[in-house]
Amino acid sequence: MMLARVADSLYWIGRYVERAEHLCRLSDVMLTATLDRTESATQIARIALAAVGDPDDAAKALDPYEAARALVLDLEDPGSVASSLARARENARQVRDQITTETWERLNLIHLRMSDPNAARDFADGSQAFLHETIADLHLFKGAADATMSHGEGWRFFQLGVYLERAQLIGALLEVCFGDRRRRAITDHQALTSLLRMGCALEPYLRVYTADMQPKYILEFLLLDEDFPRSVRFCTARIEEHLSSISRHVEAAGVSGPDRLAGRLRARLQYADMGEIQAGGASAFLAAVIDECAAVHRQVYETFVAYTLEQRLPA
Amino acid sequence: MGAAKAKGADRGSAIDAPAVPYDEMRDADGAVRPQYASLAARIETLSADELAERQRTLERFFLLQGITFTVYGAESTTERIIPTDLLPRIISAEEWKIIEAGLIQRLKALNMFLADIYSSQQILMDGVVPRDLVLNAPSYQREMQNLFVPHSAYANVCGSDLIRQPNGEFAVLEDNLRVPSGVSYMLANREASKRVFPGTFRGAGVRPIDRYPDLLLTTLKSMAADWRPNPQVVVLTPGVYNSAYFEHAYLARLMGVPLVEGRDLVVHDNMVYMRTTTGLRRIDVIYRRVDDDFIDPLTFRRDSGLGSAGLFNAYRAGNVVICNAPGTGVADDKAVYAYVPAIIRYYLGEDAILPNIETFLCREPAQLSHVLANLDKFVVKAVGASGGYGMLVGPHSTKAQQDEFAAALTADPNNYIAQPTIQLSTGPCLIGDEIDSRHVDLRPFILSGEKIVVTPGALTRVALRKGSLVVNSSQGGGSKDTWVLTDRKDLQP
Repeated sequence: MMLARVADSLYWIGRYVERAEHLCRLSDVMLTATLDRTESATQIARIALAAVGDPDDAAKALDPYEAARALVLDLEDPGSVASSLARARENARQVRDQITTETWERLNLIHLRMSDPNAARDFADGSQAFLHETIADLHLFKGAADATMSHGEGWRFFQLGVYLERAQLIGALLEVCFGDRRRRAITDHQALTSLLRMGCALEPYLRVYTADMQPKYILEFLLLDEDFPRSVRFCTARIEEHLSSISRHVEAAGVSGPDRLAGRLRARLQYADMGEIQAGGASAFLAAVIDECAAVHRQVYETFVAYTLEQRLPA
Repeated sequence: MGAAKAKGADRGSAIDAPAVPYDEMRDADGAVRPQYASLAARIETLSADELAERQRTLERFFLLQGITFTVYGAESTTERIIPTDLLPRIISAEEWKIIEAGLIQRLKALNMFLADIYSSQQILMDGVVPRDLVLNAPSYQREMQNLFVPHSAYANVCGSDLIRQPNGEFAVLEDNLRVPSGVSYMLANREASKRVFPGTFRGAGVRPIDRYPDLLLTTLKSMAADWRPNPQVVVLTPGVYNSAYFEHAYLARLMGVPLVEGRDLVVHDNMVYMRTTTGLRRIDVIYRRVDDDFIDPLTFRRDSGLGSAGLFNAYRAGNVVICNAPGTGVADDKAVYAYVPAIIRYYLGEDAILPNIETFLCREPAQLSHVLANLDKFVVKAVGASGGYGMLVGPHSTKAQQDEFAAALTADPNNYIAQPTIQLSTGPCLIGDEIDSRHVDLRPFILSGEKIVVTPGALTRVALRKGSLVVNSSQGGGSKDTWVLTDRKDLQP
């Protein structure tokens, strides 16, 4: 049992920090790749920008530094890292009584650094170092939450936010790289390793598939691997796990609520077949996954947060 | 009128001779007082740089913890920490005994006063306090008449403002019985000063204050325990934009109870519920940090979005307890204040242990003319205002300000009281990189439910501007930790 408003805030903290981390990683990969003035460097920059939903990726890819700076620091842009962290922190402030001091301190620290007047200078002095540190701090934040918060309902709402956001972000990245709209398949070695880096997947991939960079394997790994924490399958398994734990106490949740949707989504990934996906086109499959994530999000909101009072008033 | 003049009058008015303020650390000859001995010795060994370094550590602690208030500007929004001084204020065991006894006596009498004026009004019949003064006070809530309050504990949380007079005696400047704040700073200052002066702290024998959240929860539960075995307690906050939001979240977290906002509450059939993930859950006790006027738009201000419609009726029906009770403000009204010594005598048959500051009620024509003739020497306060607003500090005012107040006083004398300018005591503070004296007051916190308890500690507020007597945080004030020492006799040998 916890306040509906509080559950909502914890869920959004999860979503915002996951988004911030992903954007930092995309920016970092983009900046590293474009140090070389190669054709694939521009391709990588366009992938990164298209994956965050920027329709202007071709133009912006010409100035990757400025694109990364805006993506990270621009407070006017509600989708930037700084804005996401400010919102995560604002949500945390509203549920300050529900999270441990250790967890709060981490998030507050990241936010303070990001909104510091010197942040722009620090970013200019060493963009990659800045991004690395931010990602490491976000790991520390998640670690502190994991190690100090009770793994009860509140923590599960937080995790639910993290994994739903992650599934959607990785899904969007895969759509950009393997979707039907792509005219020219990605074959360049540097582009393929960069793609893995954007999913923080390079080293885990190498351990499974060795240094054999095949687009098919990369799609399979980021989509269907059972153990890799950023694969879509792994995310959907966690979504189902956290939701079923949360729903135990709510009768309405099991019947037609988010539980069923999450189970179906998990099964879709668990029993997927690479051959079928490739035959039908990755786009159709990815679109179904992303839509179902959105449906889970709506159902969570309707079941736990914005339910109508008539159904819940005591008789 | 006799009752209105406080005990201070007997010692001769302080008006014409602003005495030298009492110094907390040193006596009149400049010798260090015993309770400050170890701190003074420690400071001696620290260089200016080391002190400044400790001050930075302290400020970083507050920033990291998010103990900040938000300044909303036109260009950007920034967060600032409340100015905090690292040198603790120290109170000896003997001094504390008097303070503690005085506070308990005072709150006991004020609760009895509230129970009386909201029922049979005996004290008004007997003419001890003027009837119109109480019934016409804006803070008097007619809705509270004949409403049962468990243990007659109206003011469950009280934060009285004490000052130390030039003769060394503590006196009460104000009773805060509505929604007093500052207790989180008392607790946070303590955590910070343990980090900054660990050695001195250990040696000094400081009484712990960390049981406060536990005692607060016990107090709140005791308000409903008679009919609900394990009452559900919540803290009601106006929300994250309130300047005391940090404190609301802090107390909820340390008590382990939900922090709710008005929008989380639902009133149905005179029961109060909160919206949880598993549906509606009943609430028994609300520790509200929302002012009376905003609790329930149906009963009080219609435009309030901070409370919950129907809350007051649920309270009247006895299905929920609101702490502090609505309408307690009438007992800390600045005009009623003048009668507190008489109130104590009336209900308890005792003299007030902690004296009042001599207070002139402008509603009495003779006192008004005395105040008007001496505006440059008085502190004039509007009865309804708080936070250092609506106030004239005579000796620091311009002729124009005095004229403005003279006009206001003549036009609406009922709304004003006047007190002689009291030299608050001074204590050492780190200003820049050197130690200098600043004026301080003392705000201890008293809890009353089934029992009345005083936490052995307080918030010491500091007027950081040199010579200033205004300690409110909205007017350039800061705070510091307050050490109440253990009586050596109470310690095991």
